[in-house]
Amino acid sequence: MKTIAIIDYGAGNIQSMTNALTKLGRKFKVVSSGNEFLQFERDFVKFDRVILPGVGAAKFAMDELRERKFIEILQNLTIPFFGVCLGMQLLAEWSDEGEVECLGIVPGKVKKFEKSELKVPQVGWNKVYNMRKSPLFDGIDDKEYFYFVNSYFLPIYERTLLAKSFYENDFSAAIFWENFYGVQFHPEKSGEIGLKLLNNFCTKC
Amino acid sequence: MLIIPAIDIINGECVRLTQGDYDKKMVYGKDPLVMARKFVDAGAKFLHIVDLDGAKSGRPENKDLIVKLVKKIKVPVQVGGGIREISDIAEYLEAGVERIILGTKAINDPDFLKNALGLFGADKIVVALDLKNGKLMTNGWIRSATEDFEYCLLRLKAIGVKNLMVTDVTKDGTLERPNFELIREVVDFGFEVIAAGGIKSEEDVEILGNSSQAVVLGKALYENKIDLNKILQKNFFGLTKRIIPCLDVKNGKVVKGVNFVDLKDAGDPVELAKKYAEEGADELVFLDISASLEDRKTMLNIVEKVAKEIFIPFTVGGGVSTLLDIKALLNAGADKVALNTSAVLNPQLISRAAKQFGSQCVVVAIDVKKKDDNWKVFIKGGSEETELSVLNWAQEVEKLGVGEILLTSMDRDGTKKGFDLELLKIISTAVGIPVIASGGAGSMEDFRDAFVLGKADAVLAASLFHFGEVSIKKLKNFINLFNISIRL
Repeated sequence: MKTIAIIDYGAGNIQSMTNALTKLGRKFKVVSSGNEFLQFERDFVKFDRVILPGVGAAKFAMDELRERKFIEILQNLTIPFFGVCLGMQLLAEWSDEGEVECLGIVPGKVKKFEKSELKVPQVGWNKVYNMRKSPLFDGIDDKEYFYFVNSYFLPIYERTLLAKSFYENDFSAAIFWENFYGVQFHPEKSGEIGLKLLNNFCTKC
Repeated sequence: MLIIPAIDIINGECVRLTQGDYDKKMVYGKDPLVMARKFVDAGAKFLHIVDLDGAKSGRPENKDLIVKLVKKIKVPVQVGGGIREISDIAEYLEAGVERIILGTKAINDPDFLKNALGLFGADKIVVALDLKNGKLMTNGWIRSATEDFEYCLLRLKAIGVKNLMVTDVTKDGTLERPNFELIREVVDFGFEVIAAGGIKSEEDVEILGNSSQAVVLGKALYENKIDLNKILQKNFFGLTKRIIPCLDVKNGKVVKGVNFVDLKDAGDPVELAKKYAEEGADELVFLDISASLEDRKTMLNIVEKVAKEIFIPFTVGGGVSTLLDIKALLNAGADKVALNTSAVLNPQLISRAAKQFGSQCVVVAIDVKKKDDNWKVFIKGGSEETELSVLNWAQEVEKLGVGEILLTSMDRDGTKKGFDLELLKIISTAVGIPVIASGGAGSMEDFRDAFVLGKADAVLAASLFHFGEVSIKKLKNFINLFNISIRL
């Protein structure tokens, strides 16, 4: 059976992602290092998808991904990849969060929401709009609400943009490049619609 | 705030008067229905229709036309003008009118007003007060009443009037600025106030939004001084406010008390959580109020079950005192953990937790009680007063890296008297992180006020939801009326 690799870089809670995949009846394997990833593929079966959940800070995450020998594996993936929240931001070239070079798979630099009268982090439900046609959004209406928690955002880059959201400014809510998908929100925490989107990634992307 | 476009009718046509003078009439359209549709298409969620012929003659003159219109329009409508019989009120309400505006008759005949309030409920009746140079006016603004304005407010309050529409006739139709002080005064009496008259700019609407709950727009729309679509779309994109049911859990059951004591059983936590998620709750909070270690294990089991069944974010608090406690809850599937007593006793715990697990999953719960002119922070389930003042503590926890503050007014908790708006506003504007308001929710209006006047980012309530007094869906539809961004 097809198996999804969930990348665990030790930042803590990936429980909600595994709960959601379990609910959707998807088979997955949590891998804590590049070696474990390769070992599993050697001993059992090739992964058919990769999910990088988003927890913690960019600098910590990049350090851990390097330490755990994930970087090269991720940069050379040809199977569908799904980055969630921080997992999406790490696809970019650079993050101001800890001033760190990221995976450099998609163009762009991750920035912080400038504090004005707005609260940072952005916590809660926000509309995702200008959705472009993509299997990821199959059966999902434009301007649907998803759950966000973020202080940093990836600006809009037309070449990779799948959908936008607005908080003080427009930012990338979803991106796509070759086999790499990323969303700023948490589909695993966005109720039924979120589960639908996650299932779309697992079955249609 | 609720923005209500006005349609005034004379002889079946849409008109505007200037300062209530029937001789200064401008016709803006032949067909009120066309006008109503235009407003609804622009995003209006409520309409205000006045039968001006009726206001003058003392009986509904355009009733058939209005009833026809109400049946064809999908948004709620309030109707006024010449309604002076109980049978007219009943007829309009039966036809689908949401609220009835009573003017002259309500002022001159208290028994009639009492009767109407008793028969149809305070929500269905709006009393219109028209003022000219501080004096009450009646009969289509032609006659001035003899009663003193303030005395009139007290009298209306006493017989149970809830909604007032306040029009400063000196301003109406002149596009001079509205009388903000007058509106403020009426709101302070404790009425739901619909402001009307002289509103000429988007800025006026914004200023009124800080005092009155609704505004009727007339000439400003017809003369294109205000772009209805623009003000209604202002909050269309961007983050929504959140409605958060709170489940206090003891021995594996949801309970709820008044002022932190006197607990009542309210059901199974997982079942309730599921129900709330389906109804549209934006998040959930579980507070573990058990005392024993055995019960703590029960709580972890509940957290695990909830995490497997419910895919919206949830916070768990109560008795969390170490990094290990936090880790155990997060591993069980909680998205955030709320710290209270332990945060006060050991502030380093907050910064450590934020560093290790991320700010986004650390919530500090602050329980406060008003002492003289200040609010003091209480710990240990509200049983122990600390030296901390709420403002200092809120700013301190923000510095320590907390992601959100859950602010509970112990004075209001369980009383259903409304949130402590003064407290809320002070804290919410003093910190740059989201503030969740808690303690005192008693009506849908209280939630709205917490967002608009208290500047809260999210609102938490328990008993109101548990005992089915307010459904989340209904509450969200109500909030949406007032142009507050909410997930429907």
